[in-house]
Amino acid sequence: MSWAWFHKLGSPKWFFSWSKPWALPVFCFGCLSLLIGLVWGLVFAPADYQQGNSFRIIYIHVPVAMLAQSCYLALGVAGFVFLVWQMKMAPIFIKAMAPIGAVMALIALVSGAIWGKPTWGTWWVWDARLTSVLVLFFLYMGIIALQNSLDDQVLANKAAAVISVVGLINLPVIKYSVVLLETLHQGPTFTLTKKPDMPPEMWLPLLFAVIGLYCFVAGLLIWRMQSEILKREYRSSWVKQEVTEHGL
Amino acid sequence: MTYSSFLVSEFLVLWRRKQDVFNALLFFVIVVVLFPIGINSSPEFLAPAAAGIVWCATVLAILMAVEGMFKEDYHDGSLEQLVVSGLSLPLLILLKIVAQWLTVVLPLLLMMPLLSEMLYLPSSGFWVLTMTLLVGTPSLFFIGVIGSALTVSIKQGAMLVMLLILPFYLPVIIFSTLAVKASQAGLPYSGLLAMLLAISLLSLVISPFMTAIVVKASVN
Amino acid sequence: MAFNSLSEFLMMGTHAVYVWSAYGFSALGLTWLVWNTLATRRKTRDTLRKRFLRNRTR
Repeated sequence: MSWAWFHKLGSPKWFFSWSKPWALPVFCFGCLSLLIGLVWGLVFAPADYQQGNSFRIIYIHVPVAMLAQSCYLALGVAGFVFLVWQMKMAPIFIKAMAPIGAVMALIALVSGAIWGKPTWGTWWVWDARLTSVLVLFFLYMGIIALQNSLDDQVLANKAAAVISVVGLINLPVIKYSVVLLETLHQGPTFTLTKKPDMPPEMWLPLLFAVIGLYCFVAGLLIWRMQSEILKREYRSSWVKQEVTEHGL
Repeated sequence: MTYSSFLVSEFLVLWRRKQDVFNALLFFVIVVVLFPIGINSSPEFLAPAAAGIVWCATVLAILMAVEGMFKEDYHDGSLEQLVVSGLSLPLLILLKIVAQWLTVVLPLLLMMPLLSEMLYLPSSGFWVLTMTLLVGTPSLFFIGVIGSALTVSIKQGAMLVMLLILPFYLPVIIFSTLAVKASQAGLPYSGLLAMLLAISLLSLVISPFMTAIVVKASVN
Repeated sequence: MAFNSLSEFLMMGTHAVYVWSAYGFSALGLTWLVWNTLATRRKTRDTLRKRFLRNRTR
């Protein structure tokens, strides 16, 4: 297996020119798939026999919650890559990803709280998954605050990478510890090993929404990384050429 | 400089700044006192809540102590001396943590009998609480030191350290209070103590290296 | 189709408040994310372009 692509990823210039045609199509595909999933889920999927129509919140809640976790996983991996290989793209990735993850965690929390009201009769329960998403939100905010308050770029890169890696190592411990606090939450909707309990007309739209949101975030991420690359590499001649000759 | 001379000088510095250590302890006691006054001073509330109260106060007091650990060394240049000393930086950081832990946690443990009386904690719970403090607080230092190193170059870093580090303290608080609760309910708690020990050992392995990376980056 | 009429769809059984507020907040969050991304992108390009053009004329 060739590792050339991995080393190429270390070059902001290579990434910029490679990703340029990808951002918009991926973003549009994501929007479309998300829209299909949401409309399907909201209009066509049958109501849940226990929860009635309030279960339709699942079509935004579950994708967003999945992304909140995946984003942190990606942050931790990027931090590790930076600490080991000093790859220039990794801190750019972290900088671009952290706000996305924070927004996802916040939406997951709020939509979960709103869903909890008709289902459990209360906005908030100290259950394992709610608490761990809340902690996840705090971790994201910590990374963002740290990056904003460090002026030195080299130090900010290192700091963000270290705190991401430490967070990733700690996340299983945090998860396990909050599981020990009593749990009220229903089991995970999607697992890789088991067939979902829901009928297909209920989980198919969810699948569309999940894939859509992943692509939506990927598109946004590429745009944010491109902006960050331009900001950091403004001294190099290719950026000058890129900015002055090509339009937006 | 050798490792032992470094450790001795660390203790010396802490001894000269004993007022800081004393302040941290006073802060700890005041936080503990806030709970009976602010919420409920009846034994029915305090006895089951005691472990949680003590742990919250401990976490805050330790964060206060850890937050400024590298500040002075950073500003007077001795942190840079450590980096270029030729000794292993992670090991030096580990020694620094040991010195700090001894000076903060030991007095805190000495005060525990008094506080547990004030919080109506039964004696069986008291011993478990002391054990959780002994086993769990090292991890608080190891994790907190990373945050302290990350924010060493920032002027108003205290708030940021809190924001950054407190989420990582949640598991330690949860396991500790659950252990005390389990002992009060007559359930086995050794597994929870083992979890605390595991967290402390895990952070012992990771923290000095991570802190060393950050310290090197901050000094340059 | 799970609903017979538009008003029934908007009512969401008895859960209109919950469903629509959850979706409303989510839409708000995602829209902010898109707006923030595109605004940063435009701003970065504009500032850099201005800087380069100014240096060229000098």
